[in-house]
Amino acid sequence: MRHIFKDLMAATALASIVATASYADEPKKGGTLVTVLGSNVRNLNSAVQSGIVTGFPGAQLFASPLRYDENWEPQPYLAESWETSEDGLTVTLNLVKNAKFHDGTPLTSTDVAFSVEVIKANHPFKSMFAPVETVETPDAHTAVLKLAKPHPALMLAMSGQLMSIIPKHIYGDGEITDVKAHPRNNENVVGSGPFKLVEFKNGEHVILERFDDFFIDGRPYLDKIVMRIITDPAARAIAYENGELHMGAFESLPRIINRLKGVDSLTVTADGYGAIGPLDWLAMNTSKGPLSNVKVRKAIAYAVDKNFISKAIMQGTASDSTTGIHPDSPFYAAQDGYDLDLEKAAELLDEAGFPVKDGTRMSLTIDFGWPGVKPQVEYVKAALKKVDINVEVRSSADFPTWAKKMGTGDFDLSWDTVFNWGDPVIGVHRTYDSSNILKGVWSNTQSYSNARVDELMAMAAVETDDVKRKALYAEFQAIIADEVPVYHTNTLPYHTVYNTEKVGNPPIGIWGTSTPIDMTYLK
Amino acid sequence: MSDLSTTTSHVSLSPWGQAWRRFRGNYAALVGLIVLGIVIFTAIFGPAIYGIDPFEMVWAPFSPPGVDGYILGTDYLGRDLMAGIINGARVSIIIGLSAAFMSVVIGVSVGALAGFYRGWIEEVLMRITEFFQVLPTLLFAMVIVALFGASLPMITFAIGIVSWTAVARITRSEFLRIRELEFVMASRSSGTRPLRIIFSVILPNALPPIIVQSALMVGSAILFEAGLSFLGLTDPNVVSWGQIIGSNRQYILDAGYTVTFPGIAIFITVLCISLVGDGLNDALNPKLKDR
Amino acid sequence: MTCFTAQHSLKGGFPVNFLQTLLVRSIYAIILLLAVLVLNFSMMHLAPGDVADTIAQANGGADAEVLEAIRTEYGLDQPFLVQLGRYIGNVMQLNLGYSFYYREPVTELILQRLPATLLLVFSAQILALLLGVLLGVISAQKPNGITSHFVTFIALFGYSAPVFWTGILLLIGFSLQFQWFPVAGMRDVTIEGGFFVKTWDVIVHLILPMITLASVFLALYSRLTRATMLEQLRTDYVRTAYAKGMPHRKVVYQHALKNALSPVITLAGLQFSAVISGAVLVEAVFSWPGLGTLAFTSIIARDTPTILGILFFSALVVIIGNLLTDLAQKLVDPRIGGIE
Repeated sequence: MRHIFKDLMAATALASIVATASYADEPKKGGTLVTVLGSNVRNLNSAVQSGIVTGFPGAQLFASPLRYDENWEPQPYLAESWETSEDGLTVTLNLVKNAKFHDGTPLTSTDVAFSVEVIKANHPFKSMFAPVETVETPDAHTAVLKLAKPHPALMLAMSGQLMSIIPKHIYGDGEITDVKAHPRNNENVVGSGPFKLVEFKNGEHVILERFDDFFIDGRPYLDKIVMRIITDPAARAIAYENGELHMGAFESLPRIINRLKGVDSLTVTADGYGAIGPLDWLAMNTSKGPLSNVKVRKAIAYAVDKNFISKAIMQGTASDSTTGIHPDSPFYAAQDGYDLDLEKAAELLDEAGFPVKDGTRMSLTIDFGWPGVKPQVEYVKAALKKVDINVEVRSSADFPTWAKKMGTGDFDLSWDTVFNWGDPVIGVHRTYDSSNILKGVWSNTQSYSNARVDELMAMAAVETDDVKRKALYAEFQAIIADEVPVYHTNTLPYHTVYNTEKVGNPPIGIWGTSTPIDMTYLK
Repeated sequence: MSDLSTTTSHVSLSPWGQAWRRFRGNYAALVGLIVLGIVIFTAIFGPAIYGIDPFEMVWAPFSPPGVDGYILGTDYLGRDLMAGIINGARVSIIIGLSAAFMSVVIGVSVGALAGFYRGWIEEVLMRITEFFQVLPTLLFAMVIVALFGASLPMITFAIGIVSWTAVARITRSEFLRIRELEFVMASRSSGTRPLRIIFSVILPNALPPIIVQSALMVGSAILFEAGLSFLGLTDPNVVSWGQIIGSNRQYILDAGYTVTFPGIAIFITVLCISLVGDGLNDALNPKLKDR
Repeated sequence: MTCFTAQHSLKGGFPVNFLQTLLVRSIYAIILLLAVLVLNFSMMHLAPGDVADTIAQANGGADAEVLEAIRTEYGLDQPFLVQLGRYIGNVMQLNLGYSFYYREPVTELILQRLPATLLLVFSAQILALLLGVLLGVISAQKPNGITSHFVTFIALFGYSAPVFWTGILLLIGFSLQFQWFPVAGMRDVTIEGGFFVKTWDVIVHLILPMITLASVFLALYSRLTRATMLEQLRTDYVRTAYAKGMPHRKVVYQHALKNALSPVITLAGLQFSAVISGAVLVEAVFSWPGLGTLAFTSIIARDTPTILGILFFSALVVIIGNLLTDLAQKLVDPRIGGIE
């Protein structure tokens, strides 16, 4: 009798401990999350506008068929289930039955078909849905995508901010290409995501509030999200510290990251950027001058010290990267890289036919894509001086001028940050594909052309077997590391900062904040 | 005897000599002039004497001031801040002087012609002056630099083209006053060529307030350039004080010295220019001594 | 404008001439604005590259064909004068064009941000004037005292230190160290409350930027006030007042000051352009959501219509500021028709 009682006691004790533990983790409903956007958002419609600044509010306002977990596994979202045919040419999405837009209209497969059309016509990322020929809508809750060829990248393209389902009855009132400048992109925005738009004040803030009829029961947890627009990084840092901001993503300044890491109330993590995949690189224009010679490019790679960049400039906040694919991606295949070797660099330059004459071997110019990478640019100037290459820094006061230079091949060297956007097909192919040479900024502006690379990329794009695909990309990465049209040094150290006491379930999955934060709550 | 000699020495001094005397007696202005002299000396000879290339990475980044022989520490790339400040002096002074010079040339020309000829010439020139006065100076300069490139000459041009209206106003005002004076009337009626009257007769007498304004303009040109650099509209191949502040702005929270030292450099330079300007004002306009 | 009025000084009836001057001035202001438009438009046209590039880049790049299509669509292939004419015609109808970068009509965009800048500019001017005049009057009474020198020092600091540097220092000092003031922006959106609560919130956010901007002009106003006050205190008019036994306070504040204020107000009017320039930098430091930050992002994005619109509006603000200054001038001393 007695030991049964003791067992019972132990069991109850254990049960109560377990109960309280899970109770402590139970998300609380309510509250206003104050977060921040680091630059001004121009357009809230993520179906036509790319970029992380639009992605954060966009992914709250609009829903996509899938969402991904931290293990790169697709999870149901608007699509409660999906099938891909054997030949990979048909993808069927079975939509949830109860999804509604913020104005009460039910979401149907017509909206999905419409959205794909809109994205194809307006979104800058052409490779996402290029193979999609048509979207059939046999019934209101089934969308069938018919592909011209197998397209494994499609899965990732149907998540995050890449495939926002927009209401046809609102955006379908004109030509498909009119959606890009549609007035409802900035006000009265209607989607089917967990939050609806309350107010968007250009340059000041975006305010969202819970959509009570969200198709996932009991979610979202937050009442309101306030996204303040604060462009000055130091001001943001102060705001995190004194509690004015609960959370913020895309902080990339090493000094500030390290400073915030030292603050007790904050958690600073590099998690959440695997799918966005931001990489820093030194692009070299292979179409003209000394840079058309691979030995010269290798020499430059040997002269620019990744270690210095990582330790001194990045202050240890960035990860190493040796290829065009982000280290967090399942397709990443690390290469040996180019460690600092000034002698080797000098040797290669001599071999390439550029000996030292009057104290210099050659003169090159270097541009930069955004002010944040100016330290690296200045470092390259100093580093290349050590192998007697004269570098002149060119500044473009505005983005279109710089973009034009890149798009027309009017540059020698350029330092920039570029994103993978999930699947290599979306963000990586564009850089190395010889059919994409000089098609505007962030295309193959290096004029790089390698038949084998083209072949590998084409095969990988349609290869549905994961193992085979990895092998293809492994070879791909080996070649581009060897020919180095682009010298990869490190990842851009995006970090998410949040108040440990206040924020539960911060968005640090593979898509970071470009994903619905319906599971985030305030403690 | 001694009385006579003192009286004689007073009488024999030209107005300029007397002005210099007054200036000398103004301690604040003197100090300003001396410090300014040091700054200019640094700008000219500093880089050669100090020897360290401001672009070269000489040490670990963010080394605090005073550590390991680097008096002002190092910046985010490990470059010597002292070298940056010394070399920056050159750019700041050059731009300051050139832009001020350009403004003065334009302003004096406009003001002189307007004040001398009066009539419709004055009307037109004054309209033009008011037009430039109404333009938002920094914004306009930003647009010029953004559109046509951020090189030293272009920056100088942009600053100069928006800053000349004050000089024009003062010049015109002086010309209006002086042209009515007897000795000028005499020249005018005696048929002397107008340009000669302007340059040899009126202008020398109009100089005092123009000189003062010019001196102050150098200071404001330096501040202007600092503002443009802070916003990033600067030539990346040269170092300027404003640029150092701009590129180090994100590190103010814990490497504040990288922003403080160039700021102090600008502050001291402009302050000294203001003091000298004040001193010149007092010295050249003794009747308006307290203005 | 001030020159203009010198020729139309107030003789005869006050009200009639006042309205007359106002009308004449307004027409003149419109002409001035047109001139500003033409100059700015021409300048942007002169520059390498054009709007088509901007649009193309905003869409992620384009090849020659698409660029041509864009040019035709937006009438960029028309002769310059035609484009200019069309632009001016639009502006007359209060249509400043469409921003490709923000995807909003420029007029709306600017009107959203204008109040913030106006608030900053006018409050800084008023603070600088009030404080400057006060300090000037005080130091005029004891020209060589400690207060006087202290005032000169503070004023000189504000003037000589780059305004953005002052702003950063104040930010570190009062937002970070002491946490007395918020770090950025114009208001705390999460605050619930009525009109007074929200207004107080804006005021709290306004204080540091306002002080920063005012510090630059404090020097000018305080020193000019001091100089003109000293002059006034030496005139026969004032000495007579003393002789008549008028109390010191009254002499200083009612008689001397009234005359001394004119030049200071004139100076303040002439500074509007400089104040707006300062505001651009202050807005950058404090993330103040005004025209300055809009201008900066537009320049970076080569958003021509917005840039033109902002230049236009800033000129407008300066002109209105001048007008108000002249009005204030008349309030202070109706005898004066205009200073030059």
